[in-house]
Amino acid sequence: MESMNIEALEKKAREIRATCVQMACDGKVGHLSSSLSYVDVLVALYYGWLKVFPEDPGNPGRDRFILSKGHGCSSLYVVLADLGFFPKSMLAEYNREDSCLPNHPCMHTLPVMEMSSGSLGHGLGVATGMLYGLRLRGSGSRTVVLLGDGECNEGSVWESAAFAAAHKLERLLAVVDYNGIQAVGHSDEIMGHTSLEEKFRSFGWAARTIDGSDMKSVVAALDRVPFKKDKPSAIIAKTRTGVSFMENDVLWHYRKPSEEDRVKALAELNAKPIYGRTI
Amino acid sequence: MRRAFAKALCAAAEKDPDVMFLTGDMGFQVFDEFIAKFSRRYVNVGIAEAQLVSMASGLAKEGFRPVIYSIASFMTARPFEQIRVCVAYPDLPVLIVGAGGGYAYSSSGVTHHAGDDLALMSLLPGMTVVAPCDPAELALLLPQLMTLDGPAYMRIGMFGEPEVPAAEPPVLGKARLLAQGEKVAVLTTGDLAAAAREAVEELHKEGIFPLLYHFHTVKPLDTAALESISVKARAMIVLEESSPVGGLAAAIANWLAAGGCKIGFNRSGPPDLFLCGNPSRATLAKRFGYDKRGIMDSCRRAWQQAD
Repeated sequence: MESMNIEALEKKAREIRATCVQMACDGKVGHLSSSLSYVDVLVALYYGWLKVFPEDPGNPGRDRFILSKGHGCSSLYVVLADLGFFPKSMLAEYNREDSCLPNHPCMHTLPVMEMSSGSLGHGLGVATGMLYGLRLRGSGSRTVVLLGDGECNEGSVWESAAFAAAHKLERLLAVVDYNGIQAVGHSDEIMGHTSLEEKFRSFGWAARTIDGSDMKSVVAALDRVPFKKDKPSAIIAKTRTGVSFMENDVLWHYRKPSEEDRVKALAELNAKPIYGRTI
Repeated sequence: MRRAFAKALCAAAEKDPDVMFLTGDMGFQVFDEFIAKFSRRYVNVGIAEAQLVSMASGLAKEGFRPVIYSIASFMTARPFEQIRVCVAYPDLPVLIVGAGGGYAYSSSGVTHHAGDDLALMSLLPGMTVVAPCDPAELALLLPQLMTLDGPAYMRIGMFGEPEVPAAEPPVLGKARLLAQGEKVAVLTTGDLAAAAREAVEELHKEGIFPLLYHFHTVKPLDTAALESISVKARAMIVLEESSPVGGLAAAIANWLAAGGCKIGFNRSGPPDLFLCGNPSRATLAKRFGYDKRGIMDSCRRAWQQAD
């Protein structure tokens, strides 16, 4: 794919966000802020950095992307549909009964997903196995895992972090969506105001913290991956939802946007959803 | 049984270049041959069972056939959710091996008891669950497990289990006939088959001839064998070194309750309790009636009632 400039990536991100808001409204489901916060990272990854093949999704030469925080799946669905992995019209089925797009992704109903997710603390471990295997096969493919900051409460994340560094999985990139919010509170308070970057570094990773909602910073950080030879890389991306009335509010982890919310958000984003409404 | 496992694993790795062996820091000296021959395909993940399982899932996703190994209690109960979410849900061909299942580590304390390993693994849709009776059977079952498209759990014992003679080789998913007989059927799983076999042979001297079937495959349950047992016998005695909840006996009881085959049902095995007090394995078997003597007593009672 031809790489897009920053402005085009920013526009794309607004479009993805607008689509997520409409999907949450139509699908009558929450977890909207969890999908919105990492959109800039997702766009920078999928529209330039990751090697993917929408027409041949299982191509062994692809980079692998695992959404470990499965509850934030709607933005990934939008990006995959936008890139042509499946028809955009399917987005209207988000969270409906019998839909291929449930609110936690299932690889059986949507086989383009590398893994099903929904329970936290699994993606990084699976990624280490995939990458270990890819390296044994002499593949140069990279593996990216998107984790939540709340997810990093899980001990299993750190078992995997230790393993990845011990085995020098240089082609592994973990991005932590550091949106500051988890299910019932603020992640900094719950983790005692300790630094995620320092944690990853002390586990043997090369890590840096960036403004994850600033496209320029995201692209610049991705361009420097791997940060250090023989070390897995971690990006702690401080993120925002990108919709002013949803910022920094635990409520939007749960709230289903009303039609009024939808209209207000779309106006602010100045973007149109990528699928037409059927209702 | 562990040496037989290590040997069978080497044979499997010889045959299939995608076989990998991952351990959760267990098996000192047991896998030296594998490490020497296939160093690239051996990983000691460390004392990190969650990582052990999720990493195996990633390897299986990339087309490898991981075999993962730890003590049965740590291999099943601790990373249960990893097994459920990363292995069973995506239906990946990971072979999970629990060493010292049941009460093989009886005197190591409750933390090491794995009376629930078969039950936990049987709970997972698509999981094949096996408990071989001796090293020879393990060696014949392992290559069959390595052909499955989905996940499997194998409970293996300790060292030096006696060989249990059988006319037919084991076939995954099929109960194995160990002794012909009538009226009463003894059904075993895991290494209890040896004690059951001895008990049945001694009973022959008393003119009591129970059938003896070994269910090395706990799941899927061989219901065809159960149907045929129901025709041949009036009572069955299920022996298991497992919790009464969710193990072989529970699976059979469920099947009987739903299916209507008429046959008397008895179970001998440990109770639904944490077994404190440093008991030996032999003490437990004696206390709960599944040692040789206990099995003989159960058979005599069932034989008399069947007359």
